[in-house]
Amino acid sequence: MSGAAQHEIEQAYAHPFGAQIDRAALSQRLDAAGGWEAKSRLLVQLARELPGLPEQEKNDTNRVSGCESTVWLITRWQDGRLQVAADSDSRVIKGLLTLLLTAYHNRSADEIQRFDIEAWLASLGLVRFLSASRGNGIRAIATRIIEASRQPAG
Amino acid sequence: MSLNPLVLRADFPLFDHYPDLVYLDNAATTQKPRQVLDAERHFYETANANVHRSSYRLSGLATDAFEGARNTVARFLNAGSADEIIFTRGATEAINLVANSWGSANLKPGDEILVSGYEHHANIVPWQLIAAQTGAIVRAIPVFPDGTLDRTSFLSQLQPQVKLVAITHASNAIGTHLPVLELAAAAHVAGARVLIDGAQAVAHENVDVQALGADFYVFSGHKVYGPTGIGVLYGKAELLADMPPWQGGGDMIDKVSFAGTTFAAPPGRFEAGTPPIAQAVGLAAALDWLSKLDRAALKQHEAHLCALLDAGLRKIPGVRVLGATTERAPLRSLIFDNAHPYDVAQFLDGRDIAVRVGKHCAEPLLDALGVNGTLRVSFAAYNTTADVERFLQALAETLEELA
Ligand SMILES: Cc1ncc(COP(=O)(O)O)c(C=O)c1O
Repeated sequence: MSGAAQHEIEQAYAHPFGAQIDRAALSQRLDAAGGWEAKSRLLVQLARELPGLPEQEKNDTNRVSGCESTVWLITRWQDGRLQVAADSDSRVIKGLLTLLLTAYHNRSADEIQRFDIEAWLASLGLVRFLSASRGNGIRAIATRIIEASRQPAG
Repeated sequence: MSLNPLVLRADFPLFDHYPDLVYLDNAATTQKPRQVLDAERHFYETANANVHRSSYRLSGLATDAFEGARNTVARFLNAGSADEIIFTRGATEAINLVANSWGSANLKPGDEILVSGYEHHANIVPWQLIAAQTGAIVRAIPVFPDGTLDRTSFLSQLQPQVKLVAITHASNAIGTHLPVLELAAAAHVAGARVLIDGAQAVAHENVDVQALGADFYVFSGHKVYGPTGIGVLYGKAELLADMPPWQGGGDMIDKVSFAGTTFAAPPGRFEAGTPPIAQAVGLAAALDWLSKLDRAALKQHEAHLCALLDAGLRKIPGVRVLGATTERAPLRSLIFDNAHPYDVAQFLDGRDIAVRVGKHCAEPLLDALGVNGTLRVSFAAYNTTADVERFLQALAETLEELA
């Protein structure tokens, strides 16, 4: 991999979710957004804070297939913690990805496998996304991350 | 006579539960009038029994209701006879039936099936499956990037090895009406059979299968104000007569023995097992409900909604309407310069406006148009100008927000 490409990947993993921004902070912001429209607006805003993936990483291997929008996901191990970065062509979905990253990025396999993402999203009033269309539903993306956490490090 | 959508709307109990809902996903499925719900309930309460069992009177009532529904469908399509009407689970199953039954009996290696580039996957995949089994070849009739049909390619591909042409009456993804009359006539001159997918047409057009020259015509009940779980295959009597059964079971046989079984005449031959009886009764009620309306006025009403929508969309920057130069069913497929259709739909949903986004099960068409998803607005009889206005205003504000 070229130095420039490597640099872009480092930047993709250097997003603030699960690092500077933790679950409590996000919960607070979502609680403050009452109603569906306000939550959608907040998700779009969160999407702006996620740098996303370099173009060459938006490939079929990293794609979580779906019909309504496209999601790309990459993971790697760093010092016993799984790093997760993601992107979507939809800003609402990208906003939801920031929640998944906040839940899973930079955590140990054990923490990832024990976390109840559905209960958390439900508590944030985002339960409808759990039933969203096949494939690129939030569930499918969470499953991909949990699977990655079961692959041996390195 | 004009048509008052607010009066019609009162026939639809769903809107009693959601008075603020702007339902613009009618191409996916329509809401159901009380007359349909009542007909199914009335059937269950007064005539329910299995059909085609003649030993007691109640079964006679059920059979009369079911066969009466078949007559209603035959009249609705102007079929030559009710025996040309086969009940299926929907348009998808109807196409699979033709592909499997007619296809297995009539296709051999090297034969071709011409499928238009507008088709819903339901009118593509069954042909690919039967082609793989028979050695036939599926070829596409191309669509130009502006959404118009490549007639020249169609005519040049229409060679003697083409055994069937599968075309939609109207595209579910962009609305475009195909010139089915002209395509069917050309296909027949070339010796090919024609299947027309009427899923998006029957709720809006007066369909006359004989005038169209359709060998097969299919539609789904749930897109024409009827129940889910019921659809129709119309097939010309002389074709059905020679077609082998597809599924085996009760009701489709003449005589069964382990030495060999002989099959019932159409339509029974193609309706194995207990059919969707109450659903057929509900479908007939839906077609009756629709047929009692002034269909010309209804068409005008839906065209008026489209004209309002088109005019409003022209005033919103960054919106493109697909297939805009073609004659279309009352639906519009939109893409946006600066917003993803899914995001727009989320914001519209926040304002109780229901639209569909995605590829609409028509990936080859979207590929031909060079887009990977659209937002689709589709109208039915009960939509109002207020629905259009609310959609336009919400869209304009949403696009500003997402810019
Ligand atoms: C043009 C067209 N054909 C076929 C179908 C399939 O109909 P069903 O799913 O009811 O079988 C649809 C439904 O979306 C359609 O729009």
